Amino acid sequence: MELKQVLKKNKESFIKKWFQATIDTYPQQTAKVLGKDSNRFDNPIGAITHETIEDVFTLILEDFNQEMLEKTLDPVIRIRAVQAFSASQAVSFVFALKQIGEDIIDGNLIREFDKLVDKIALAAFNRFMKCREEIFLLKATESKRRIHRAFERAGLVAELSEEDLLGSKKS
Amino acid sequence: MSDELTPNELLDKIDYGPQSKSGPESSNWMDTTASVQIRPGMYCYAAKAESVETLGLPNARPWNPLDEDWKLPDNWQEIIFQGLKERLEKFRTFKVFMDICVRCGACADKCHFFLGTGDPKNMPVLRAELLRSVYRNDFSTAAKILSKIPGGKALAGSRPMTIDVLKEWWYYFFQCTECRRCSVFCPYGIDTAEITIMAREIFNLLGLNIDWIATPVSNCFQTGNHLGIQPHAFKDMLEFFVEDLEDVTGVDCTPNFQKKGADILFITPSGDVFADPGTYTCQGYLVLFKYLKDKYGLDVTWSTYASEGGNFGFFTSHETMKRLNAKMYAEAKRLGVKWILGGECGHMWRVIHQYMDTMNGPADFLEVPKNPITGTVFENARSTKMVHITEFTADLIKHGKLELDKSRNAERIITFHDSCNTSRGMGLLDEPRYVIQNVCDNFYEMPPNTIREQTFCCGSGSGLNAGENMELRMAGALPRANALKYVHEKFGVNTLGTVCAIDRAALTTLCEYWVPDVEVYGVHELVGNALILPGEKKRTQDLRLEPLPGMELEEDEDE
Repeated sequence: MELKQVLKKNKESFIKKWFQATIDTYPQQTAKVLGKDSNRFDNPIGAITHETIEDVFTLILEDFNQEMLEKTLDPVIRIRAVQAFSASQAVSFVFALKQIGEDIIDGNLIREFDKLVDKIALAAFNRFMKCREEIFLLKATESKRRIHRAFERAGLVAELSEEDLLGSKKS
Repeated sequence: MSDELTPNELLDKIDYGPQSKSGPESSNWMDTTASVQIRPGMYCYAAKAESVETLGLPNARPWNPLDEDWKLPDNWQEIIFQGLKERLEKFRTFKVFMDICVRCGACADKCHFFLGTGDPKNMPVLRAELLRSVYRNDFSTAAKILSKIPGGKALAGSRPMTIDVLKEWWYYFFQCTECRRCSVFCPYGIDTAEITIMAREIFNLLGLNIDWIATPVSNCFQTGNHLGIQPHAFKDMLEFFVEDLEDVTGVDCTPNFQKKGADILFITPSGDVFADPGTYTCQGYLVLFKYLKDKYGLDVTWSTYASEGGNFGFFTSHETMKRLNAKMYAEAKRLGVKWILGGECGHMWRVIHQYMDTMNGPADFLEVPKNPITGTVFENARSTKMVHITEFTADLIKHGKLELDKSRNAERIITFHDSCNTSRGMGLLDEPRYVIQNVCDNFYEMPPNTIREQTFCCGSGSGLNAGENMELRMAGALPRANALKYVHEKFGVNTLGTVCAIDRAALTTLCEYWVPDVEVYGVHELVGNALILPGEKKRTQDLRLEPLPGMELEEDEDE
C-alpha cells in the first residue's frame, strides 16, 4: 500500500491523535477546556486548532506545494505566534506526527512519512516567522499610523517620505 | 463547565509553563508563583516618574518590571495590608466578592485573555484567587483558625504576601481589561473587574502603575486630554477637519468652542480628534451638528478645556477617576449649557453610568436631558445629565428628523462590535444598531454568544492599548477576531462598526493581524456620509476622501 493510502485509511485516527498532542502543548487545565467539543466561538483555540489540523491532513493526501501548505497551517500558527511559546515550542506540534506515525505506519513507509512531516515542519517555521514579523510591524507602525498620520494630514507635522529619503522620487 | 473544572482540579494542579508536564514541584498552584516570568510582549512599560509625580501619587521613581528590584518602599507589605483593609471597609462589593466565590468555574472559560493566551491564571476565578489567597491569609477569621491546624493552610487556600506574589499580581491584573464578560456568567454576580480595579489601586499606592495609563492621566490632568494636546492644537485639528468637510460637502461645518449659553456641551475622547480612524468619526459629529444647527437651530459647543471624554483615571484609582471626571461637569457649569452630549467612547460611559453620580453628582445645576427637536426626555440620564450620541441620533432618526442617503454607504457590508463598557456597563445595545441600519443597507450580526451582553473585548481596553504588549493584545483579541472572521467569510463583511475610541484604534490593529480585509468605522462616520446637509454640493467622496459608490465610474467616464 502506498503511504497516502495508509494515511487516508487512518485519517480519523491521525487527526484525533494529532489534535490531542497539539492541545497537550498547553497547560493541563487549559488543554481540558480546549479539548472540549464546544461551540467554536466559545473555544476558538480548540476549534481553530482542530479545523487546521484536519485541513492540513486533508491537503497532504493530495498534490500540494509549499505555499498551499503554509497557507493551510496559518490559522494555528498565527495563534501560537502570540502565545507563551518559544519558536521551537510553537511548531513542535508538527513533530508529534512522527510519534503518531510510528504506531500506525509500517516500517518500510516510515522514512517517506518522516520526510512528509519535515516538509510540514519547514512550512510551519516559515509561517511562524511571517507571523512574528507581522507582530513586529504592528508594533512599529501602529502609533505612527494612528496619531502621526492625523497630524500629518492636518499639516501640524511634516516628515520626509521614505521615497524622499532614498532619493528615488521622480521630480 | 463546572462539572469538569472542580475547585480541586483547578487549584491544586496549575502547571504554569506553557507545555511543561506536572511535576511534584507544581502540585499546588500557589507554589508556582516564584516561576512567574514577566514576558516581553505581555506587559506594559512602567509609569514614568514625572507622570506619577504630577498626580501627587506615591513612590514616583524610574523602575523596570524586568528588574529584580522594583524599588518599593521598605514598608510595602504594610502599605498593601492597610490599602486592602481600607478598601474592604469602604467598598462593600469588594468585601462580598472576596468572600462569596465558591469556585464553581462558570467564569473560567469566559475570559478573552484565557481563551486567547491559554494561560490558566487568566481564568477569572484564578486571577481573582491570586488576591483572595492573601485576603484569606490576612483578613479571614475562618482561614486564620484553619491555618493553625496541620494542612489547614492549603485547605483555606491562603498564602502570605511576598514579593513574588506581588509580581504575579502585577503581571496578571494587567492582563485583565476589566471588560466584565466573566461577571455575566457568575451565578453570584461577582464583578471580577472590581477585583482588578482594587488590585490596580493597591499598585498605585506603591507606584506600580503602567505608563500607558499614568502618562495619559497626567496629561489629562494638566492639559485636558490624554494625548496632552494643547488647546490651540485641538482647535487646529478641528479646523482642519472643517476644511476637509468643505471639500467633501461644500458646506462650512465650523463648530463652536467654549460657547457660553449653548444648548449642549459635546465631549468626546481625544482619540476622535487626533487618531485615525476616529478622526473620521469626529468629522461625522461635525456634519451632524451643522445639520442640526441649520435645520433646527440647535446650538452645540465643544470645549478645549473638557477636551477628553475618556478617563484613564478609572484604571488608576477612584480618586483619580473623580478628579478627571470633575472637569467635564465644571465646564458644563461654567458654560451654562443645559446638558452634556457624549461622543462614541467606551469606558467614559461606564464612569458616567456607574460611578459619576455618587462621585461628582448629582449634577443638579444641569437640566434633565431633553431632545429639543423631538421632545424626548432621556430618563436614563436624569441624574448624570449626559446622553450618549447614538441614543441622541437614534431618537432623531426615529422621529424622522434626519434626511439620510443610505446609498453613500452602499459598499459597507457591516457588522457591529459592542464595546464592553457601553453594552455591559450601561446597556446600550440597540441604539447603535438602529443608527447603523438606517444609514447602511448591509448589516450582519456576529454569532449571538459574541455580541451584546456577551460581547468579546477588543483585548486592549482598560489602558492596555500600548505597543509593547502586542502579543497580549493580539492573543486577547482572538475570540473577537474569530467571530469577525466568520461573518467576513460567510457574508462578505468588510466593515466593523464600533462606538468606542479605544476600539477604533485597537480593532484596526486586530483586523490587520487576524482579518486583514476588514476596516473599522465609527457609527457617526457612517452617519456623516449618509446625512444630506442643507445646501450641500453633489457629493462624490466619502469622509475618507475616497470615491462614493457609483462615483468611480462617473470619474472614469469623465476621463
